Amino acid sequence: MKFRCERDVLVEALATASRAVSGRGGALPVLSGLRCELKGDQLCVTGSDLDLTITVDLTVSGSGDGEIVIPSKLAVDIVKSLEPGAVSIETEESEAKISCGRSQFSVHLIPAEEYPQIAMAESEPLTLVASEFTDALRQVVPAASTDDSRPILTGVLLAAEGTGLRLVSTDSYRLAVRDLPGTAVLADGQNVLVPGRALNELNRVISAAETLTLILGERDATFIVGSTRLTTRLIDGDFPNYRGLIPQNQPNRLTIGRSQLIEAVRRVKLMAREATPVRITMREGGVDLVAITQDVGQAHEELDGSYQGEELTVAFNPDYLLAGLEVTPGDEVSLETVDALKPALLRSLDTVDFLYLLMPVRVS
Amino acid sequence: MRVVIAHCQVDYAGRLTAHLPMALRLVMVKADGCIAIHADGGAYKPLNWMNAPNRVSERENEWVVTNPKGETLTITFEEILSDSAWEFGVDPGLQKDGVEAHLQVLLAENTDAIAQGLTLVRREFPTDIGPVDLMCRDADGGAVAIEVKRRGDIDGVEQLTRYLERLDRDPTLRPLRGIFVAQSIKPQAKVLAASRDIMCVEVDYDELRGIESPVLRLF
Repeated sequence: MKFRCERDVLVEALATASRAVSGRGGALPVLSGLRCELKGDQLCVTGSDLDLTITVDLTVSGSGDGEIVIPSKLAVDIVKSLEPGAVSIETEESEAKISCGRSQFSVHLIPAEEYPQIAMAESEPLTLVASEFTDALRQVVPAASTDDSRPILTGVLLAAEGTGLRLVSTDSYRLAVRDLPGTAVLADGQNVLVPGRALNELNRVISAAETLTLILGERDATFIVGSTRLTTRLIDGDFPNYRGLIPQNQPNRLTIGRSQLIEAVRRVKLMAREATPVRITMREGGVDLVAITQDVGQAHEELDGSYQGEELTVAFNPDYLLAGLEVTPGDEVSLETVDALKPALLRSLDTVDFLYLLMPVRVS
Repeated sequence: MRVVIAHCQVDYAGRLTAHLPMALRLVMVKADGCIAIHADGGAYKPLNWMNAPNRVSERENEWVVTNPKGETLTITFEEILSDSAWEFGVDPGLQKDGVEAHLQVLLAENTDAIAQGLTLVRREFPTDIGPVDLMCRDADGGAVAIEVKRRGDIDGVEQLTRYLERLDRDPTLRPLRGIFVAQSIKPQAKVLAASRDIMCVEVDYDELRGIESPVLRLF
């Protein structure tokens, strides 16, 4: 097996596929490698940890079909380090010779026959508008948990909602909900739980694509963007009943400039150390933001805004508040509250398609 | 414990020489022979000290403390304001809130806080290189070795890895997996654990003790 390819094209393919490779290969050492299959001038590069598989197809100048598994990190590091130009990879028995200009590397291969067969999800392909879906992922995925002890919360719920698609995620401290009206890709009542990690990787590869294809299997989902396929196992289990958590009528409502509030929280957060919350006192005409860390100091900032309701102080984790503000669209946002211990609802004034529910922090 | 408050100067001779000029200071002589000279500042750290074993030779207005290495600490007293001695008895030791042992007890009583479906086999499960904190079985009957730390760092992951390696030699425990539990786990430790297929779980000590946490949850 031998092929030639431009360095930058090859680096991108190897690096993209390697993002699905686990550090030490987990239970199967062969999974620490990238599977490269050459058929004619088509090279197919696959990385997988069995939960997530990323495959990239690219056109190369090939001679001699074949299949190898090359150590992932080493392959990426070597090809990335080469001078710009055409890179040649040729296999000889159990080694791959990588050469470019006057640089030559010889890399021991991993037996390719040990690489597991990884199937794509099988069903009718569904087409999504990439920019809309990316936007939704950017808003929702960060709120998914990364704590493996509650695996259900590490997923993003994709559910049919009316004639559209709804994406929901939560780490139990906050909840993000994004609706994509008109994106009717799921049957009425259908929902799937897709790992947040897979959607993060999907977001990286979508880049400038116009459409993406979704194939939903019973236990897997495959996303196809251009020449990249990303297959992920779905999370098995019931997502928490989030609908009951979203309050319908909040007595207190603050309306404020989004960027002003972001900047103020960022400043005040400098004094919110060691899990110290930022206290927001909402009053007629605006808000006061305060952060106090014992033995360090305190920060205070006033902001103008419109407030309806009783004067109220609510404390929030500043990172979670900022994360919500940063992904809420529009120039102005509303923060609706009941009291200092009940979830606060963050929304845009421009659209009802996104909401962010945030639990306060109890303070004395 | 002998506590002397006096105007004194102190001279150390040994690997180097050091001189504390005449000033008001606290001289502590502990029951084990350790001597420490403190100023009214500088937090907990003495200005000079000499650990036990040593020999104190008391002369008029002067103590000479000598250790087996031949180092000497000479304390010259100008005026002694207070000189008292107290019998402390055996110290019960420092008992920190939230020590690993208590965390281990709490988690043994509530294994669901680590992962759903775990059943405790025993605490301090023996291996030939030391006991692993908790040995459990998961819902599928698989053995789960659990190491509990207050703060989770790379050393804890390494320790659990060593236990897993030893335990994996026991066919009755295979297939075996590991869980690393701590109140907080450093990112580097999480990466190392993930690379070794060790699950990381952060637990809330207050919640385990039934104390209301300031961190509120949606569910």
